[in-house]
Parts: sequence; C-alpha cells; structure tokens
Amino acid sequence: MKIKVTKEKCTGCKLCQQICTITHYNEINPKKAAIGIEAQFPEPGYFLPKVCVQCGKCEEACPVDAIHHEGDAYVIHKDECTNCGICVEACPFGVIFTHADLPTPIICDFCMKCTEVCNTGAIVVED
Amino acid sequence: MIIYLRSGGKLKDRLKPDVDQYTRRIEVEGDKPLRDILNEVGVPDSLVAFAFINGKLERLEYRPVDGDVITLQPPVSGG
Amino acid sequence: MDGFGGTTLRIDLATGNIRKTATDPALAREWMGARGFVSKILYDEVPRDADPLGPDNRFIVAPGVLTGSFSPVGSKIGFGCISPATNGHADSSMGGHLGPELKYAGYDLIVFKNIAPEPQYLYIDDDTVELRPAGHYWGMGSLDLEKRMKDDLGKDFQIATIGPSGENGIVFSCITHDFGRQAGRCGVGAVMGSKKIKAIAVRGSKGLKARDLPSLTKLTYDIIQRTKTHPNMAPWQKYGTAYFVGWSNERGCFPTRNFQQTYFEDWKGIDGEKLVEECLISDKACFGCWINCGKYSKAKVPGKPDKYVEGPEYETIALIGGSCAFKSIHEVAYANNLLDNVGMDTMSGGSTVAFAMECYQRGIITKDDLEGHELRWGNIDDFEHVIDMIVHRRGIGDALAHGTKGAAEKIGKGTIHFASQAKGMEFSGYDTRWYPAQLLSYCTCDIGAHHSKSWAITADIELGRDTIEGKAAVVIYLQHLRPLFDTWSCCRLFWGEIDVSPEEHVDAINYLTGWDATLEECFKMSEKIWNQNRCHYIERNGGPGRKFDIAPGRHLTEPVPDGPAEGKLVGSENFEKMLDDYYANRGWDVEGNPTREILELLGIGYAADNLEKVGFLGKPIEGGVPAVRGRKLKPMAM
Repeated sequence: MKIKVTKEKCTGCKLCQQICTITHYNEINPKKAAIGIEAQFPEPGYFLPKVCVQCGKCEEACPVDAIHHEGDAYVIHKDECTNCGICVEACPFGVIFTHADLPTPIICDFCMKCTEVCNTGAIVVED
Repeated sequence: MIIYLRSGGKLKDRLKPDVDQYTRRIEVEGDKPLRDILNEVGVPDSLVAFAFINGKLERLEYRPVDGDVITLQPPVSGG
Repeated sequence: MDGFGGTTLRIDLATGNIRKTATDPALAREWMGARGFVSKILYDEVPRDADPLGPDNRFIVAPGVLTGSFSPVGSKIGFGCISPATNGHADSSMGGHLGPELKYAGYDLIVFKNIAPEPQYLYIDDDTVELRPAGHYWGMGSLDLEKRMKDDLGKDFQIATIGPSGENGIVFSCITHDFGRQAGRCGVGAVMGSKKIKAIAVRGSKGLKARDLPSLTKLTYDIIQRTKTHPNMAPWQKYGTAYFVGWSNERGCFPTRNFQQTYFEDWKGIDGEKLVEECLISDKACFGCWINCGKYSKAKVPGKPDKYVEGPEYETIALIGGSCAFKSIHEVAYANNLLDNVGMDTMSGGSTVAFAMECYQRGIITKDDLEGHELRWGNIDDFEHVIDMIVHRRGIGDALAHGTKGAAEKIGKGTIHFASQAKGMEFSGYDTRWYPAQLLSYCTCDIGAHHSKSWAITADIELGRDTIEGKAAVVIYLQHLRPLFDTWSCCRLFWGEIDVSPEEHVDAINYLTGWDATLEECFKMSEKIWNQNRCHYIERNGGPGRKFDIAPGRHLTEPVPDGPAEGKLVGSENFEKMLDDYYANRGWDVEGNPTREILELLGIGYAADNLEKVGFLGKPIEGGVPAVRGRKLKPMAM
C-alpha cells in the first residue's frame, strides 16, 4: 500500500498530521507526525505534502540494522535503534522525522488514517 | 424532465429532501428558469445566493436540463 | 491543565522583564480564552484615561480553549487592546497557524505593557522566550518581513508581523501572518507598533493533551466525514467567500462608491467566478480546516509587477472593489496585496480611501492636497498614491490615517455625513439602508461596526426588510452567539456554513478540558463579556451609552438612489425605535446604560459600582430585566 500525493490539492491544513499523532502518540502534536507539509510561500504558492514512498534507503543506511520492511511499511525497532540520525540524513525525500521527546526517528507505518481526514484528495490510498 | 435539487442548512427545511438527507427529486415541465422552479417548490429565491451545477456557479436565470444536479447555495456571512 | 499550554507570559517592555506564570485555571474556566481573556484583562488593568497608543495600554495575544485542538476548528488566535480607532475594547482574531503553534510551545496568554526603547520582536522557541532587537526589520512590509524572518529563523517558525502602517500608528493597521491571514480590525497593528514590537515568531513542539482524546477524536472525525458531502462544501471549497459578491449586489447591499450606491454595475468583473478563473493559484487553509476558503491568487495589472495575495475575500472585494469602484479583480487583488504589505486592514483601509475619493469627487479634497495627483474612482495609480500618503502621514494622508471618522473631523465641511462608520470603525461590506437589523448590529457593536459580532442580513430578509419589529431581539441573540466563536477561538464558518452545531463545539471543549460547560452557560458568559465591554466603553468615553450608538448621516437620511434597493431607507425614527427596543431587551435603561440588576445577574457587579462612580449606571427598569434576552433565530445561511 502506498499514499498517492497530488500537491496542487494540498491546502496545508495539517489535519493529516493531527490524526497521525493522535493515532500514534495519543496527543495532538503535528511536530511528531510521520507526514510532512512543506509550505512554498509566498512563491510559488503551493503546499507540498511529503510522504514515505518506501524506497528502502533508510534500511540500507542504518548502521545497526534496526530498520526492516515488515507488512506494509518500514519499521524502526526501538531496541536496536540508537537514534543516531543517519536514516534521517539518508532519506532522499525528507520523510523521516525526529522529535526531542522520542527515542527513535519517526517513520510512516501506513495506517492510512491521514487519508481518511483529507478532504481535498491531496493524499489518497493508492491501490 | 427530472432534476435534483440539493441544499443544507435551513434551506433544507423548505426543500424537503426525499432522495437523501440533502437531495430532492423534482419533475419539471417545460423549459423555465431555476428561479421559477424554486418558487414552485416553496424555496424562497431571495435566500438562494447561487446555484452550483457541474462544478460551476450559475445565477437563478439558469434553465435546467434533464438530469441536472443543482446545489442551492445560501449566502455566506462574509470573510 | 488539559487543553491549554499551561503558561502565561507577562512582558514589561520598558524593562524587558519577561515573567512566566502558570495560567490561572479559574480565569481559563470563566473566560475561556481570546476575546474573554482580552475583555477581562483590559477591564481590570488599563487606566480609563490611558492613551491607546501610549505605555499604559495593554497589547494582548491570546489563543483560546479550542486553539490547536482537533476540533471544528481551533485555528484562531485573538489580539486585544484598547482600540485607537474606537477608544474602547478591541478584540481581533486571525486564523492560520500561529495560535496552535503558540499553544504547542506552552503559552495561553501574552500580556505586553509599556513601550520598548528600541524596535524588538518576540522570539519563542518552546521554553526559550526572548525580546530580540528588530531595528534591521523596522520599516519592512508585513509580507516581506515574514519571508525574511522565515529565512533568518527557519521555515518551521510561525510568524506575525506589522508593516510600516502599524509602526506609524495608522488607526486601522492590522497584524499579518501566514502570507495573508490578518487580525485586521480595531487597529491592533497600530497598538503593537506603538509598543515597538515588529513581529512575533513562535515554534512549539510540545503538542496538546486532551482530557478525553478518544471522544474528542471521534466527535471531530465524525463531523469531518458527515460534512464532506454537505451541499455547501463544494462551492465553499471552490470560491471561498468571494462568490457572495453577486448575491449582495442583487439584493442591494453592496457598498458602491463609498456607499453612495448599493449596486455596482461592474460587479461581474470582481466576482468570485472571475477570481477563480483568472487569479487562483491554490486553495489555502487555516490549521485543521477542511473547508479551505482561502484562495491564494496572483494579481496581474498591466504596467505593475505581478503580486501574490491570499484573497481577495468578500469583505475586501466589497470595500476596495465596490466602494472604490474597481472594475477588475486583478486591481482588487493588487490593492489587497498593497494593503497587506503596508499592514493595513483592507476593510477600513478600502473604506477610508473610498471616503477620500468621495471627498475628491465633491471637490473637498483637490489635487493640491494630493501632491498633484488625482483620486478618481477605480484608478489604481491614484489608490496606490494616496495609500502611500497615509502610510507615511504626508499632508491629507495624516488626516486619513485616523480613519473616516477622525478624517471627517479634521477635514470638516460636513464630510462626517458620508463617513460610513460606527464608534470610529468603518462598516463591513454591507449597506444597511434596506437592512435595519444590520444597521442596528453595526451601531451597537462593542468593537465598532463589524459584521463578525452580528451579521443579520439574512435575518432581515427572513423577517422582512421593511420591518423593524422584532429585529432588536434577534440582533442580541447574534451578538451573543457569534462572538462565542471568537472567545472559544475557533472558526465560526463551520457553524455558519456546514451545520456544525454550537452544542458540538461545547462537547469538543468538554472532551478537551474535562470541563462541564453547557451552551447556556457559554451564552451567559458571552453576554457578560458584551456588558463588561459596554461598561468599559462608557467608563472611558463618558455617557450616556446612547450617545455613542449613532448611525452615519447618509445611512439615516439618503434613500438608496438606484439598483435593487432603490428608494429604501430605514430612517431616524425607525432607528431610534429599534434602539429603544434593543436596550429594553438587554436590560439596559432607555439611555443605553446597563443597570445594576443585569450586571449583577451576569456576575459583574463590580462594573455596576464603576458605572455608578462615573454617573452612568442605568436607572432600574420597571418590572425588572427580561428573563430571556435575545431571540434565537438561525438565519438562512447559518
């Protein structure tokens, strides 16, 4: 499963980020979301939603073998991860995130909750 | 011909939807402007800001064609 | 404290002292945020003789209870002060992302007092709070500065700025954020400028805890799913507020040439359809919003550089487009960008230029006053030049910098007759000569003429535009309900346009905070705020209150000359009758002064004591105050 992005439809509302952190961390905090939104203002005037495309570069880069593709997504294993940040640097799409309160980087697990609240079709489930 | 009128809010109380919670099916005889159709079905045209048909804004002079799904839009409360 | 950041900032700009205290849970529970906080703090702290642009005024930044939460829709932040335009309570709100960011950094309220010795900006990065020098930013345009600060600090900062207009104390200066969201009204930008605060930059990573997050999430998630198919959704998403231009013209309430007319013959050139066809780049939403009424656009005016702007929205189109008679949406969008960047409210700014254009039309202002330029209807060069004169307070621009009322007092020659304002703040984009409830709404509004506190155009249509009976009670209901959204600090459009009920908002508040609030209680709080602001106004400006609830001359004596409302006029006699009715329905005396009985009933007996001291406590009403104040009417659009 993947998420299809149509950047022209993104309005930058952050509903996706809210539902993401409610689902995963039981709090409302867009800064912990596994989906990014880059605001390109004042020019050219678009938002760019950034989602994991499952390219696997993070798995290749991880020095302690803490990242594996399991089920629908790449998973960072807490026990092995040293939070060194190499995967964050290695991600070509800038979609591995960090937050000071969390012991590991944040990566999308493709729960698809974000696509359920997006009202413009900017992010939809790609079959 | 058959057209479908849709509305929410308080306009809905006048429209009396029968297809789903927002939509009413209406049989129209002859070619006439939407304004006349609204008055016939008891929706005051003074409260309809415009009609939204196939993704386009139309005034109430619009003459519906068979199968039109017409969303009636009440006025907004400013920016 | 669930649902809140937990910390209040008190900043003394004279000393640079920043004091952090825990947000008072009792204050939060009683006043709920934004407009409520502003009303209480201004009432308690600002000396009654304080100059709005002087050190004793407060400048307040206040998100509210719903800000930053997963709810319909906590995008807003309030700004408050004593207004330099009205000399009374001012609260002005904006959407975007600043309010949520501030709460995620942990702050519920910021109160500035005194004046900084040098230009500064407030820097907040979670626990780090600093006043930093802003001399190198001083003089920059609002939009230019936001871009610059994003480059300097990081794109993940949310930033609010003022432009040169706010620096120079123009009484209708706004605060800008997110490249096109404004706290536009009441001159909050002028007060921020008077304190020498050029910007506020915030980054917050702490998030928000809710008492019952599963219930809050289910409530809002279900509302999102339910409203996706609401018939109003698709047109709203496509046009935002701009589509309303046609309707407003067809019903004879579109301000045209400074409210000389109420129908603009060229409205099709500045309608929402034109905006979407010719200018639209993308849809832009505030935080957490799934309606996305913001239209990000590009203005192309021959001979001028292309300009990016969020909007223009209805109010801007009405008061710049119609009132200054621009025929092209590109010109309106260009003017919108111009005012956004200098940091002026497009509503009062547009209206003030329109007022000056009428002065020019009548030969009261001439080329000699305009540095050799003209000031013709619908001329963008003339418009641009007079704005520059106002921003830099040159010549006649210095008079116009006071808004239409202040300018009329300086210019004289009977121009006050066509200054469309109440208490010093310009009308919103609706003419009232066929709309008595709207006229009453403007003239009794606690912040000056503004539709956000009561928009009664459709109530007038529903109850009859030639009728005055029963209008006052409906206006009172709207004046209690609509400001509630400003107090909860959420967008009212979810209630107004897609049938999200006020009760659902109260449910969201309770799930978020663990409170046991009821809608009835919230209405009482809203009425309390309204009455407190009224008392504050009278304590500052003298009385009786009725003296200030006056309509502009044109709107009482000049029938509409043409268009759908031709010949219509509410007239003085009807207006005074509505006022009598309004005061009686509010539990105020016939002079418009609140009575001890109503103030004590609302829990603000202290305001009665203060009114008594200044000699304007209302005389007791025979039979007591009405048990129910205001009549519930959900006008068609709402």
